[in-house]
Amino acid sequence: MSILIAQYLVAGVVTGCFLIVATLGFSLTRQVEGFLNIAHAELLGISAFILWSLVNLAGWYFIPSAVIAVGITAVLGLFIGRVVYDPIRKFGPAVVLISSVGVAYVLGGGLDAVVGTGVRTMDIPLATSYRFFGVRITDYQMAVIAMAAVTGLSLALFMSKTTTGLTIRAMSDNPELAASRGIDVVKTSRATWLLSSGLAGLGGVSLALIATLSTDIAFQQILTIIAVAILAGLGSLYSVLIAGQVVGIAMDMSVLWLPAGYRPLIAFALVIVVLLVRPQGLSGKST
Amino acid sequence: MTSKLTFKKRLASSVVALSMALGPQAASAEEGVTFGVLVPLTGELGEFGKIVANGVQLAVNQINDEGGTSCGPIRTVVADTGGNPETGIREASKMIESESAVAILGPTSGVMVALADLAKRTETMLMSPYAGTITLNELGGDFVFRTVASDLGDGAVSGLWLEERGYKSVAFLIQNEESTISPAEIAKSAVEDAGIELTDYIVYNPGQPSYQAELISVLAHNPDAIYLAGGQNSSVTVIKEATAGGFEGEWLFTADLAVPEVFDLIGAELLNDRAFVEQADSDPSLPEYQAYSELHQSKTDGEDPGPFSANSYDMANLVALAMEASGECTGAGINSKIRDVAHEGDVVTTFAEGRAALQQGAEINYEGASGPVAFDETGTVTSPYTVSAAKDGVWVLEKFYPASTFIE
Repeated sequence: MSILIAQYLVAGVVTGCFLIVATLGFSLTRQVEGFLNIAHAELLGISAFILWSLVNLAGWYFIPSAVIAVGITAVLGLFIGRVVYDPIRKFGPAVVLISSVGVAYVLGGGLDAVVGTGVRTMDIPLATSYRFFGVRITDYQMAVIAMAAVTGLSLALFMSKTTTGLTIRAMSDNPELAASRGIDVVKTSRATWLLSSGLAGLGGVSLALIATLSTDIAFQQILTIIAVAILAGLGSLYSVLIAGQVVGIAMDMSVLWLPAGYRPLIAFALVIVVLLVRPQGLSGKST
Repeated sequence: MTSKLTFKKRLASSVVALSMALGPQAASAEEGVTFGVLVPLTGELGEFGKIVANGVQLAVNQINDEGGTSCGPIRTVVADTGGNPETGIREASKMIESESAVAILGPTSGVMVALADLAKRTETMLMSPYAGTITLNELGGDFVFRTVASDLGDGAVSGLWLEERGYKSVAFLIQNEESTISPAEIAKSAVEDAGIELTDYIVYNPGQPSYQAELISVLAHNPDAIYLAGGQNSSVTVIKEATAGGFEGEWLFTADLAVPEVFDLIGAELLNDRAFVEQADSDPSLPEYQAYSELHQSKTDGEDPGPFSANSYDMANLVALAMEASGECTGAGINSKIRDVAHEGDVVTTFAEGRAALQQGAEINYEGASGPVAFDETGTVTSPYTVSAAKDGVWVLEKFYPASTFIE
């Protein structure tokens, strides 16, 4: 029984790691740009399909293809930020949020038009399973964990050690104060779009590694991403790391006791319970 | 997509040519009559939608080539639902109001259910060649029909197969949708009655990147077989993850995986000699099916008809024949005669034969490429079923269950 529980825990940790990578960029946009970017999930899909095209159609190796997919997604996110969101930001976060739903539809429709019908799988070997103390884990699951760990660590270093990272933090804490202290708001905003969309690109790489791709698979993750972001609350991005793991482990461990159909319900039940007890979310700042 | 456009162009030119050739006629006959083809051309069921649209178009082209109906040539307008009921309602309304469509052909289960009320209210014939949902057992029979059996039949044939195969233990993995849960419940009863150990009965939500958590218990029990009733997206992930997790038993899939693409998606080596798929299917030995297969091949560079292709062809022919029999170019006319043209009378196997018999005042019984298509009180036909086996990267017919197997 303990091995079985450990097996569910491993599945939950992997789910949590995927959610962390998928949510970090979403939370970053929310902190710096001040709105819920619903189109973030579509960027995961675009990255996944760029990767799929390079590996399956062009026959490239996985890692360089992944780097290119992340790069293109980052630039696309920056482009959308400048062309769509920047001009309407003055109308307030609700207008930008609704516009991001429109952007999600445009990106989703574009994917449908380019990729077409049906489902796709990456042209990579079947996952290999390893057992540690009787608990099974595949190489792709380990890759997702590693990707989340490296992303979390790199982001922490970037935010605390680089000038751009520090200005992003200043902007997210207090944009007016940051501007009055001479921080280039426009430049910082662009850096944020590049970073958050690049993180969406990384989420797309994780998705392509473990999931079967269809044009709507990425968008189907948006509710769980929102659940993690709400649970994390505003404030430090570190709370996203904890929230992602809490949601991932809770969803997958729940299958041990509850019908699997209740998995998404668990994520939101958790959000409601945490917000009742701690309205500011897991981080220290109010939403 | 290219072939669809070609079809459309060909149809458009044949409509123009026909109107020019026929010259002055009654206004309605000159204008022709419109069938709306409402299918998913994008999304997970896009492959099926294309097959259905092509099957309908083959029938329509054949009818028009043979002089059209007494209402004039049939024109088709095609719209993509993406499998989404809301889009289905919007597109169907447009077809009925702007295009004066007398029939809406080809919606999937969810869209059919959403459109049932609209069809009855606007007196438009609504028909599907693959909507198996048991909800239509309640809603169907008046303006709502289908040329495929109810999902309950899929459950019955699955149960029968699992029993006949001699498995000692089976796990069920079912996508959380009414259309997959209903047949799974029937199959589950059959498995339990046969004394087979049901190790797991897991209903999972689609759209997840991974199903590892759902598979843990299944893999721990290591059953002889897994019955997997899911869409292509979730099923491909489940099969790969189960195999990577060490599952070495056999599989029984439902019709969503009865397409050749699954071998590329999953890898033929993971399926060959251990995977089976059940589906409501035509009897390949029927001369009518063989004739249709030849027609299909001649129009599509040698492609065999895909799943539900024959049912789609029959659907369009039945609607056209009902229109002929009623003498009215309306949905109400079609609805009044749709049962009669496939019930008792001279057996006819093509629209041209049926029209000739009707003109002589005879009653007709259309038996088409998918076999007999007599509707029961719920507007549903009784289908034969097949179980196919994965062999050398293709689905090969393993067992044919005639429709009579499931008639109590």
